[in-house]
Amino acid sequence: MNAPADPALYRHLDEMTPWDDRLQVLEVTGVTEEAPDVRTFTFRSDAQTWFRYKPGQFVTLELPVGPEPLLRTYTLSSSPSRPFSIAVTAKAQAGSIGTRWMFENLKPGAHVRAYGPAGGFTHHDHPAGKYLFISAGSGVTPMMSMLRWFSDCAPWSDVAFVNCARRPEEIIFRKELELLGSRMPGLSLGFLIEERSSRESWFGHMGRIDAVRLPLLSPDFREREVFCCGPDPFMRAVRGMLEASGFDMTHYHQESFAAPAPAPAPVDVEALAAEDGAPVQEALPIRFSLSDASGECLPGQTILQAARAAGVRIPAACEFGLCGTCKTMKLSGEVEMAHNGGILDDEIAEGFILACCSKPLTAVEVAA
Amino acid sequence: MDTRNDMLRLLKSRRPGFSLEQPFYTDPDYHRLDLELIWYRDWLFVGHDCEVAKPGAYFTVQVGDYPVVIVRGRDGQIRAFHNSCRHRGSRVCTTQKGTSARLVCPYHQWTYDLDGSLVFARQMAEDFRKEEFGLKPVACESVGGYVFICLANEPADFAPFRALMEPYFRPHRLTEAKVAFESTIVEKGNWKLVWENNRECYHCAGNHPELCKTFPEAPTVTGVNGAESDPDMLAHWARCEAAGLPSRFRIDERGQYRATRAPLLRDAVSYTMSGRRAVKRNLSDDVAADRIGTLLLYHYPTTWNHVLGDHAVTFRVLPISANETAVTTKWLVHKDAVEGVDYDLAELTHVWTETNDQDRRIVEENAFGIRSPAYEPGPYSELHEGGVIQFVDWYAGFMAPRLAEGAAPRLKSVA
Repeated sequence: MNAPADPALYRHLDEMTPWDDRLQVLEVTGVTEEAPDVRTFTFRSDAQTWFRYKPGQFVTLELPVGPEPLLRTYTLSSSPSRPFSIAVTAKAQAGSIGTRWMFENLKPGAHVRAYGPAGGFTHHDHPAGKYLFISAGSGVTPMMSMLRWFSDCAPWSDVAFVNCARRPEEIIFRKELELLGSRMPGLSLGFLIEERSSRESWFGHMGRIDAVRLPLLSPDFREREVFCCGPDPFMRAVRGMLEASGFDMTHYHQESFAAPAPAPAPVDVEALAAEDGAPVQEALPIRFSLSDASGECLPGQTILQAARAAGVRIPAACEFGLCGTCKTMKLSGEVEMAHNGGILDDEIAEGFILACCSKPLTAVEVAA
Repeated sequence: MDTRNDMLRLLKSRRPGFSLEQPFYTDPDYHRLDLELIWYRDWLFVGHDCEVAKPGAYFTVQVGDYPVVIVRGRDGQIRAFHNSCRHRGSRVCTTQKGTSARLVCPYHQWTYDLDGSLVFARQMAEDFRKEEFGLKPVACESVGGYVFICLANEPADFAPFRALMEPYFRPHRLTEAKVAFESTIVEKGNWKLVWENNRECYHCAGNHPELCKTFPEAPTVTGVNGAESDPDMLAHWARCEAAGLPSRFRIDERGQYRATRAPLLRDAVSYTMSGRRAVKRNLSDDVAADRIGTLLLYHYPTTWNHVLGDHAVTFRVLPISANETAVTTKWLVHKDAVEGVDYDLAELTHVWTETNDQDRRIVEENAFGIRSPAYEPGPYSELHEGGVIQFVDWYAGFMAPRLAEGAAPRLKSVA
């Protein structure tokens, strides 16, 4: 591990190694109020390393909320063009546990373990001449990451940026977006609110996104690479509109910030469903042969979490791939495993995995 | 303290060349002093490098009250630790052997790295300092494929033993052999009786029909006197040393360990009923010479050994109580030798399995008789039992001064 250094001392990028989630924890350097119940948490590595990621990717934070730490995924709102720190912007929904814990406990100087970055919701993987970023609520965070990258690295890019919120004051990053709009000639901003507010006047569009309002906010949306993120109903609406308009859906990409469908078993649903922040892609089937149980592994979810959701108990202790207590035989399928030395190469060769730090890449069957 | 004084008095007044007084073989208090003054102080053979061939491989051993785990680290180094969790003392490794990326206490999953450092302890206080609670190390040395540990805070210098033993054993490459079979038997007798029996072949003719097919009964072979004047031994050493194998008789000045190479009977090359080799493949790729006999090593109080051209048989002695001793025997062969192809396991192990069982019965009968109130020390045969005399002298020579350390004169209050 690199020795922690004074954060005030500037080191050149080429003098630093990239952040390694196995070795280094994050240290909070700043907490910013963005909107009601929305805060940005900025982190540096405790060992002065830099962060390698693509704009739009997410990290998984390990939050020591209770006896079993919660793992929560948050998309990064920061841009890798400013690689010395990363930031997540989280909205604490009613009933949230993880994000509420962050609000109460993550102060500058606090440390938290994180894994990643990961995820494929990024314009880097889908280069295009023109983009439409359409988001609702805290779904703005990956869009902000990508837009900040464009502003730093390709400020002439053509981006139509549409954000929907309930009230004007709930538009996250509104001031920064307006500032970027004045500096990026190709950036067009469109906001849509549902209701007026007594706190801020409003001159823009109102209502919910629909086939009438979308062309008003982005007249040439059919020519754009579309990135969409927000609650499920919102994304379904956008998707429906695009399909109805004859849009070529190979140019459509979505990331969700809504809680996924309830888990089949009521066991620890909370740990299963990433509140506020989990990108939902596709759930993969998982089979627990010894328990004769089946379940689903949601994106970003570990086999251990999926087992709990399915009511299957796998003994575990550290839950970050160090102690090896959750060593389990994988019978079929592929996983990606980010362990911390809790398993030997020979054991991996024999087919063992650590359930706490293995995420399925395909359908998986384990002897648990 | 009274036991110390009694023991010391009996050692000082013992008749040279006679067996020890009864309590040395039967008394639990004497046994406790044996543990404290010998077993917890001296270097002990516990197992082989090849039993922890890869990082993460470990085996456990119980020495008196001390559970110990021996593990190979990620850096390839073999280390030993007290097998007692720094949390609440539970044994961390509960099986005799295994492989694990980390040593995890089964009680609360405190997790130690293979170098003994504590790397994970769930939800301890914020000011808990993991670095203060690593597994306690036990002195550990590896030489010639043999792993030794020492429980003493200040272990005796291991270098002289290494210097004597290593040249003899290195050519046989036991570091990279494999254990084809191992057995542990419990002999209902004091550990010193096990050793005394092992140190002579006076009993062989009447008890060991299998071993006697190949192993000479000549006292010069097992004893410590007279080898230098035995023409058979001299000829054998000359022949083996010409083949690059150190062979002459060498013994530690305090008598704790010795090494020598001895011929087998006639054309025998291995401990089989026919005398023919038990393993087609040589034990070591570096030793091609035939009829090299057996390389003998003892190191008190834990091990005697036979290394042949095709295999090795090693023995580990561990006391269980005043009247019980565990003897573990391992048959080592070339790591690439294949059972059923290069050797037949029953043929490989037959002679020493029978011999061990015969020795067990002898020791148990001996222990039975010694428990008789009528027992009194008897004379050893100077011709055949020089090795036993040497063992008992070693024992007395190690125990007496150590007893004296702790038995400082205490004036009894006089009314």
